[in-house]
Amino acid sequence: MHISKVIISNFKSYRQPFCLELEKGLNILVGNNETGKSTILEAIHLALSGLSNGRYFINDLSEYYFNYESVQEYLSSLASPSPLPPPEISIEIFFAGEELAVFEGNGNSTKQNECGLNFNIQLAEKYRGEYNEYIALGNISALPIEFYEVNWTSFARESITPRKIPIKSAMIDSTSNRYRNGSDIYISHILRNHLEEKDKNGLTQAHRRLQTQFVNDDSVKKVNDIISSLVGKGTAEKSLKLTVDLSSRDAWESSFLTSVEEIPFHHIGKGEQAIIKTKLALEHKKSKEANILLIEEPENHLSHSKLNQLIKDIHDKCIDKQILISTHSSFVANKLGLEKLVIIENKIPLRLKNLKNDTQEFFEKLPGYDTLRLILCKKAILVEGDCDELLVQRAYMDKNNGRLPIEDQIDVISVGTSFLRFLQIASKIGKPVNVVTDTDGDVNSLKVKYAEYLGAGAEDSIKICYDDIIDSGDLLLANNKPFNYNTLEPKFLKANGVKKLNKILGIDKNEDDLHLYMKNNKTSCALKIFETKEQIQFPKYILDAIDK
Amino acid sequence: MQSTNKLLISVAGSGKTTYLVRQALTVSDSVLITTYTEANEREIRKKFYQINGCIPSNVTIQTWFSFLLQHGAKPYQGSLFDGKINGLLLVNSASGINYKNKQGIAVSFSEEKNFKEHYFSKNGKIYSDKLSKFVIRCNEKSDGSVIRRLAKIYKNVFVDEVQDLAGNDLEILKLIFKTDIKTLLVGDPRQVTYLTHHERTNSKYKNGNIKGFIEDKCSGTCNVDEVTLRLSHRNNADICSFSSKLFPNLEKSQPCECLECRSTPDHHNGVYIIRSCDVEKYHLMYSPVVLRHQLAVTPEWNFGNCKGLGFNRVLIYPTKPIVQYLKTGILTKTVKDGSTGKIKIKDTLDTAKFYVALTRAKYSVAIVYDYTDETFIDGITKFSFE
Repeated sequence: MHISKVIISNFKSYRQPFCLELEKGLNILVGNNETGKSTILEAIHLALSGLSNGRYFINDLSEYYFNYESVQEYLSSLASPSPLPPPEISIEIFFAGEELAVFEGNGNSTKQNECGLNFNIQLAEKYRGEYNEYIALGNISALPIEFYEVNWTSFARESITPRKIPIKSAMIDSTSNRYRNGSDIYISHILRNHLEEKDKNGLTQAHRRLQTQFVNDDSVKKVNDIISSLVGKGTAEKSLKLTVDLSSRDAWESSFLTSVEEIPFHHIGKGEQAIIKTKLALEHKKSKEANILLIEEPENHLSHSKLNQLIKDIHDKCIDKQILISTHSSFVANKLGLEKLVIIENKIPLRLKNLKNDTQEFFEKLPGYDTLRLILCKKAILVEGDCDELLVQRAYMDKNNGRLPIEDQIDVISVGTSFLRFLQIASKIGKPVNVVTDTDGDVNSLKVKYAEYLGAGAEDSIKICYDDIIDSGDLLLANNKPFNYNTLEPKFLKANGVKKLNKILGIDKNEDDLHLYMKNNKTSCALKIFETKEQIQFPKYILDAIDK
Repeated sequence: MQSTNKLLISVAGSGKTTYLVRQALTVSDSVLITTYTEANEREIRKKFYQINGCIPSNVTIQTWFSFLLQHGAKPYQGSLFDGKINGLLLVNSASGINYKNKQGIAVSFSEEKNFKEHYFSKNGKIYSDKLSKFVIRCNEKSDGSVIRRLAKIYKNVFVDEVQDLAGNDLEILKLIFKTDIKTLLVGDPRQVTYLTHHERTNSKYKNGNIKGFIEDKCSGTCNVDEVTLRLSHRNNADICSFSSKLFPNLEKSQPCECLECRSTPDHHNGVYIIRSCDVEKYHLMYSPVVLRHQLAVTPEWNFGNCKGLGFNRVLIYPTKPIVQYLKTGILTKTVKDGSTGKIKIKDTLDTAKFYVALTRAKYSVAIVYDYTDETFIDGITKFSFE
């Protein structure tokens, strides 16, 4: 039993229904800051437990959980002739597995026979009258949240309570949410999920006995005698005394403290806390319930070695557990396996496995680092080799007061000849990418190669930059093959002239010799150009590529 | 091959609910126990507490309608109707009436053209008489998903008072028979006080002919057992034989002869008729439970609702047809239909309800009627304090 799919609508930054398919075992969400990774974890945890930030969501319901645009649109529509219905939040969790027939039905947005539950925050039917009166008053500037209610229903359209949900979630993040006594809410929650009903009741009873013992203690009795004698004067019938609150069923939860080697849990280091919570949640072994681990950015608070240890734990235990990790550390993502990666960008989830077959294999063999650079940057400039990379960087710096492109979250990535594979990912996630490529004198075949990204129907976010002027000359290489005038170095030479280049490189050669020299000493030439104090010119297609 | 499905025909007071509960306690996997009336649902719950101290967690008890709503209609309603079903509207006659024609005959909304109006009231409640048809439709549309899902949830389905089911309810039972679910149906064909609905489907099997349905339509998938529950642990011999007169075509019920059942008081056993002037004194002397045809106020009972209950002594306020029967012993009459001119045979009284009322008592039944010197059918003693 595991979660196979989540559909989120109108929750925080997710306005349109956002569908995320999850695999059994490990799932890694990667994406830049502000792409909504944590919102996904939060939504799943909320729908499964009713908790948000460690508190019962129902007491905390506010406008800020709703998508901002939809609330604004709704509010501004109220004064217009065609008011919109009040916005609703919906989180649908789909279960895989045959054991949960009670949750089966077609009461979900796909209308298919599925197994799972709906979590809804909507205007309460019972308050419709009050809502109508409120709206009639006009001049509404905030969502009338007091008329909202939170509902759980199974796909069989049956109302359920979060207690009945067979998949429990354990949220592990770096924020700490505590009960009034300081005990951490999440660790209590995780511990409670471990306990069978019988053990839980046993604990409640033991807690009650403890309280009774307290009341029957001699010194407490003495205090009570004093109190009742104080009040007793005049009103003899009714006695007043000190007692312990026995009301709540799970009172133990808020009065017990979890401690590690005698030290209260919340006093140990944050990193250690995260590791313990993760380990506990990984050990969850209840037979009738499954459990999903939601881990938010494990790289926070952890040293490199601790992170390694945590990742090893996760990696070893994830076979029979479902785990959802959000991260923007390429280290974490790479360690745990690229095939588990879900890229979140522009509210579009992409798995590497959804790429064309050979492309997927290609990225599986790659160290993974470059893939993540593409995913995590704001914009990428793809170049063929290290020299091109240096020249593009220099061009960018010259144009932007000496700022490196990476400082503006623009990553220049050298990809060899694999442009098309990177473009496949980029177009799937809508990442803006500029490609800097040589024509090698054949513009037509280049146009064929990039047909998908050039001309009509091409995506705006992807720009192919090349020089459409074909240069030629009679220089021959040592093996009598013609020299290729249509790569970066000859184009650079053309832009700056022989004299300038000799000065930059600290040599004195004629044009043909310069061509050969630059071809044979690519890297050192590129470095010299990168570091030179001279004013330099760049071919137009390079300038196009760094243009914003 | 021994079928996993069984219909037990019982008599009043044979302890069929007790039997059902004991059967449920022997199985360890999931059991659904369902029955038509809420009163009987409560009775089943009570029986569990009496016998077992608690209702085990593998047992679910719910009324037939709430079962149909939860597991029949709601899970796959999406293929038929996208709105929200706001619950159930209990109806006693045909529902979803569009208009009445010139002859005054009600014309209902058709399922094809006015689907929503056919099944639902204006405020989105589903009509009780259409619910089982709706379930059958859901199952058809979803390719049998309704029944498949049910079979995954419940390994056993027990139906108490099965004689109350009619029309499409029986079709649902038929579908359940074909699954791996073990079904146990118990019912008394004499006690059809309510029907879930009146419909042309399977109309020849209403009025207690569940046995006929099983034998005609479900042979091979369900066995009929008329032996296990044929003795009444409640009624004494007088009440058994008097009540059996109402159903001359059925096997007479017999009192169980075991000592425990027959520890009767030494006087005032049997069926009596009593004048209204004596009622007050009678109450003081025997404290009977009052049963009425309708409008009973607690602690009194309507004939219909007291099914399944047992009392030591009862006091019945009869309807006119009941009094007529007590005088003449005539159960049927022939009636000429005004419009068609056909001759039909009709019951002179609501035999089922009267049967239920009579068979509530362990020791004595007193019927309130200001008799003078007329004669009554055999088995009745005129009662007076003189």
